[in-house]
Order: sequence, then C-alpha cells, then structure tokens
Amino acid sequence: MARAVPSLQSRLVLTLAAVLLVAAGAAAWALDSLYRNLGIRAQEDVLDAQVIALISSAEIEADGRLVPQNLAEARLSTPGSGLYAEIEGATGRWRSPSSVGSGLAFTSAPKPGERRFENVLLGDGTRALALSLGVHWEPEEGAARDYVIRAAQSLEPWYAQLLRVRTGLVTGFLLLGLLLLGALAIALRVALGPLRRLEQEISDIEAGRSDALGTGWPRELSGVTGNLNALLVGERKRLERYRTTLGNLAHSLKTPLAAMRGLLEQGDSTAAALAPQLDRMQGIVQHQLKRAVFGGSGATLTDQPVLEPLEQLRTALGKVYADKPIRMTLAVAPGTAYPIDAGDLLELAGNLVDNACKYCKSSVAVRATPWTAAEWRRPGLVLEVEDDGAGIAPAERARVLERGVRADETVAGQGIGLSVAREIATAYSGTIEIGESRLGGARICLRLPGR
Amino acid sequence: MRVLVLEDEPALRETLARQFRDEGFTIDEAGDGVEGEFAGLEYPIDLAVVDLGLPGRSGLDAIRAWRKAGRNFPVLILTARDSWQEKVAGLDAGADDYVTKPFRFEEVLARVQALLRRSGGWSQPLIQCGAVALDTRAQEVRVAGDKIELTAFEYRLLEYLMLRAGQVVSKAELTEKLYEQDFERDSNTIEVFIGRLRRKLDPDNRHQPIETLRGRGYRIARG
Repeated sequence: MARAVPSLQSRLVLTLAAVLLVAAGAAAWALDSLYRNLGIRAQEDVLDAQVIALISSAEIEADGRLVPQNLAEARLSTPGSGLYAEIEGATGRWRSPSSVGSGLAFTSAPKPGERRFENVLLGDGTRALALSLGVHWEPEEGAARDYVIRAAQSLEPWYAQLLRVRTGLVTGFLLLGLLLLGALAIALRVALGPLRRLEQEISDIEAGRSDALGTGWPRELSGVTGNLNALLVGERKRLERYRTTLGNLAHSLKTPLAAMRGLLEQGDSTAAALAPQLDRMQGIVQHQLKRAVFGGSGATLTDQPVLEPLEQLRTALGKVYADKPIRMTLAVAPGTAYPIDAGDLLELAGNLVDNACKYCKSSVAVRATPWTAAEWRRPGLVLEVEDDGAGIAPAERARVLERGVRADETVAGQGIGLSVAREIATAYSGTIEIGESRLGGARICLRLPGR
Repeated sequence: MRVLVLEDEPALRETLARQFRDEGFTIDEAGDGVEGEFAGLEYPIDLAVVDLGLPGRSGLDAIRAWRKAGRNFPVLILTARDSWQEKVAGLDAGADDYVTKPFRFEEVLARVQALLRRSGGWSQPLIQCGAVALDTRAQEVRVAGDKIELTAFEYRLLEYLMLRAGQVVSKAELTEKLYEQDFERDSNTIEVFIGRLRRKLDPDNRHQPIETLRGRGYRIARG
C-alpha cells in the first residue's frame, strides 16, 4: 500500500495557513515598530517642551543656583507624578518637588550646547526617558555660569499602552487569519465539489450501479470526463467483441469437432476424411480471432502518422507481389495523422492495400487526406485505395463487406480482408464504401471521423 | 537446393524437413534462433524458412544478422500471428515473403519455388533454356513441348542448373547444395545423375542442353 498522499483540500489549507502566518507576522511586526518609533518621538517631544519651559522661567538666585520661578506643569509639583526635572550648576542643584522620593539619578553630564537622551531607572525599578541639556547662562548682571537642565518622564504608562496595542494587533491578525482560512475551506469545498462527484460516480461505475459518467461538468473536468466516458464505451465495446468472438468461436468449432469425432468413431481417420474438417477449423480460428485482436478506439490514443506505415506496406507488398509488376502510387497530404492504435492502422491499410494488390492488373493508387470538421479538435482520416482490376459489382459490395461476419459461415481466404477492415473501421466509428475507380477497378474509401 | 528450416516446434520442423526432402531439397534444420543464425551464416544455403516466434533469439534477429553479414538468400517467414504489423516487421527485417500458420505444405512449397526462381533472376514461373522448358509452378519439364518425367532429385539438379543458366556450376557446388551435410560426398554420383539427366532430356543427343566444362563444372546456356 502506498503512503497516503494528503488531500488537495488539506494541501491548500496547510500551504495558505503557512503563508498567512508569515504575512500576518510581518505585518504585525511592521505596525508594532512603527508605533514604537512614533511613541518614542512623542516622549522626546514632551521632554523637549519641558526643558524649554524650565529655561524660559529660570533665573539665577542669590546662592548661584538656577531655579525656575513658576512651575507651569502641575505634575512637576506633585510627588510620584511621573514627570521630573532638575537643574544642576557648579554651586548646587534645583529639583522639582515631584522628584522627592523618586530615587531618580541622572548620569549624563552634557557640555553646554549638548543635548542627550538616556534611559534611566527610578528607585522602584521602573524605567524613564531622560533629556539632559547643557547651557551656558549669561545673566544681565553678574558672571556667566554653566548649568545642566534635565527632565525625565516615566515610560510605564506608555509601555502599558504599547502592550495593549500589541495584544490588539495579535488577536486582530489571528482572528483575520482564522476567518480567511475558514472562508478558504468553504471556497475549496465548493470548488472541489465536482471532484467529489466524480469520485462518487466512478465508484458507482465500479460497483456496477452506473455505466457512464453523467453530464454537466465544469470546463476544467469536461475533458477528463469525456475521455473517461469514451474509454468506458471503448472497453465495453471491446469486451462485447471478445464475448461475441469467443461465443462464436466455441459454437462454430463444435460442428467440425463433432464431424471429426463421428469420422473417428466410424474408424475413418484418413487424411482425406479429416482434412476438410481441419481446414474448416483453421478458417474459423483465423477469421474469428482476427476480428477480436485489434486494439480498438480509446481516449488515450496518440496521433499516428499515416505516411510511414503506408510506405512500409508498399515495400513489404512489393516483395510479396514480386512476380506482379505493380505500380503503387502513394499520395499522402503532409502531416496526415490519426489517433489510432498503430497495429490497427497497419491492419486497416494492410488489408485494403493487399486486397488491391491481389486484384489489380498493374496499378494501385493509395491516397490519404485529413478529414476536418468544425466540431473536431483532432481531424479524421480518409484513406482511398484504388486498383485497375475487375472491380466489385454493385450487387456484390454489401456481401463483400459482410463476408465471414457470421460465425458459422465458412469462408475462403479471399476477400476476408475487406470485412476485417470494416470491423476495425466500425470500432473507430468509421465507414468503408466500395465504389468504382477511375483506374477501372474498385475504389475502397475508408472514412474515420475525428474527435 | 539447400534450404534451412528454422522452427522451434519439433513436430512441425521434422514434417517440413521431410516434405522438403521428398521434393528433392537438401535440408538443414535448426530449432532455435542462435543455431539458426549460425547455420544461415556458415552453410551455403539457398533459402531459409524461418518461424518468427522462436524462444530466446527471435527469427527477426536471425534474419537481421544474416542481412547485416551480407547473406542475401531469400527468406520465407512463417508467422502464427496473422497481423500486418508482424508481416511488415518480418519483411522489413529482410524477409522476402510470408506464410501464415497453419499452412498447407503446397503453399509453402509454391512460395519457396517462386523465391528461388526470383533469386536466380527469373521473373516468370516458366524458365526456358533452348528446347528445355521448366515450369517452376507445376514442377514440370518439357523438351520441345514433350513432358519429361524426372525424379525429385533429378528435377532439383536441373532446376539448380537452369536457375543459374549461363553460369558454370562446379561439381563441388552441386554436391554441397544437393546433398545433406552428413552424406558421403562423392563427385562421381553427380556425374552419374548428370548422365541420367542428359539421357532423359536428350535421348537422341540433338539439343545437348548440358554443357561440360572440363575441370570446372557444368553449364546450361541461357535463352
């Protein structure tokens, strides 16, 4: 037993799930990093604004410290508010009331004109973003001094917000993905419906509940179902032919067998007595089996070029009829080909051309042309074989084609070729017509329809 | 006339060989493709009768091997499958004619006669050399219109010479072609048979159809 191959549906769903996972992951990551960058920028802008506000209200006091004279931002006055400020100079520092007990420790000490952002830790272990700006202060009176103005803001509220955004992103994308996969599964079920129907109908045929596929298939499947039906019909025809042949064979062999048994029981086993029965059995075997062996039409046949077998036949028959000066002309339209079993094509042409060689005086003409019709995708074939012999009388024509068809009819070897050719042609839904040739003899026209 | 019978079914092979011998032919028998191919390559045969359905090396292969080695004796194929595909394959491989099994010996013999005659360059079944006329179809000999009764061996001897009319045929060649391999070869026997043939064909010594070329062999004049 071969390893089970995953179904089309699970293949598609698994592949698309993987694609969705990667795509959603990438999208979420991109959105997240965009949001983070924008968030950090906003934090930095807040700190910039705080530092500028501090500078604008700061004045140097008597002890040399630079101190903001009024705090516009209420959070700076409230301890633990999350917004902190500090101005440090050579003579001491000012800290905002909010810094009390925060455990905030700035580390960077930029030179005047320098601006630095840093991440700092508060006493309780939470993180904050800090901005330090070095300034060179020149008051209207007194000496100029250097200060560092600092502001810091806790990142915790922002982190909490980021977490909420991320959770939202992940759940959003997961839901979207599941929704898409669900929709896909439904779409596949609808799209693959005809395949399930095909499976069901084939198992019906196998079980003998049905003998052909129904109609109304989507365009993508109509080729397959059409071919399957043609194959089924071909197989059934072939089976029927085998049955008929075997039945006929068994039935028709009984007569000569009975005759031989009778002769033997009478004690007459001389060659002269037995030979006619043997001949009869030989004829029956040859003609019946010849009918059954040909391949028959099927959907899987490839196009056979027609010129090559005809040329082979001309060479072969040239040897067989070496004593008869036969001029055989072959006229095959370039590229003429027909979907037929190679053996059947040779058998058809062989029987017709051999017959013509047998009955001609000196000339045989073979012509093969494609037979086109609008509804055929693959053209049919017309094969005409003419000779300059005596021809076949109109009254004889039907009989010649039927010759040897009936099982109990004993037939001499001559002329059986035409009826065999007709049987093969019938298997390909073709026809054989007997007419008169311009050469003076018979004109056999074989027409095999296209598909 | 030396004929190779290549057929794997012993009963059929022996029957064919016996029937050919009764007709005055010299027969080489082979039961498989390898043996048959060797015989065709090594023995001076005039014609081969080959069954296509041999076990092991096929009849087709043997025919191809002979043709490849330049052996151009005529080949008659026996085929059990009466399909054109098989016949064409055989003729294409180098065979010259076919007979479908089961067959009557007369049919095989007629085809063999025709092939031998054609390989001698005669396109008509009637071979005429001076007053002597040999009908290969009826296997009859007439001299100036009168039918002459010949034994099978005498007929084959005359046929061999007439098919090669105009050519000198040596006693050694006649011995080789008209006697079985294992027969004792005695060129005197040929002389005896030529003598008998001359007496039958030309009792009054008027036509002198068979010419003796001392030390070289015999010749019948063409035409």
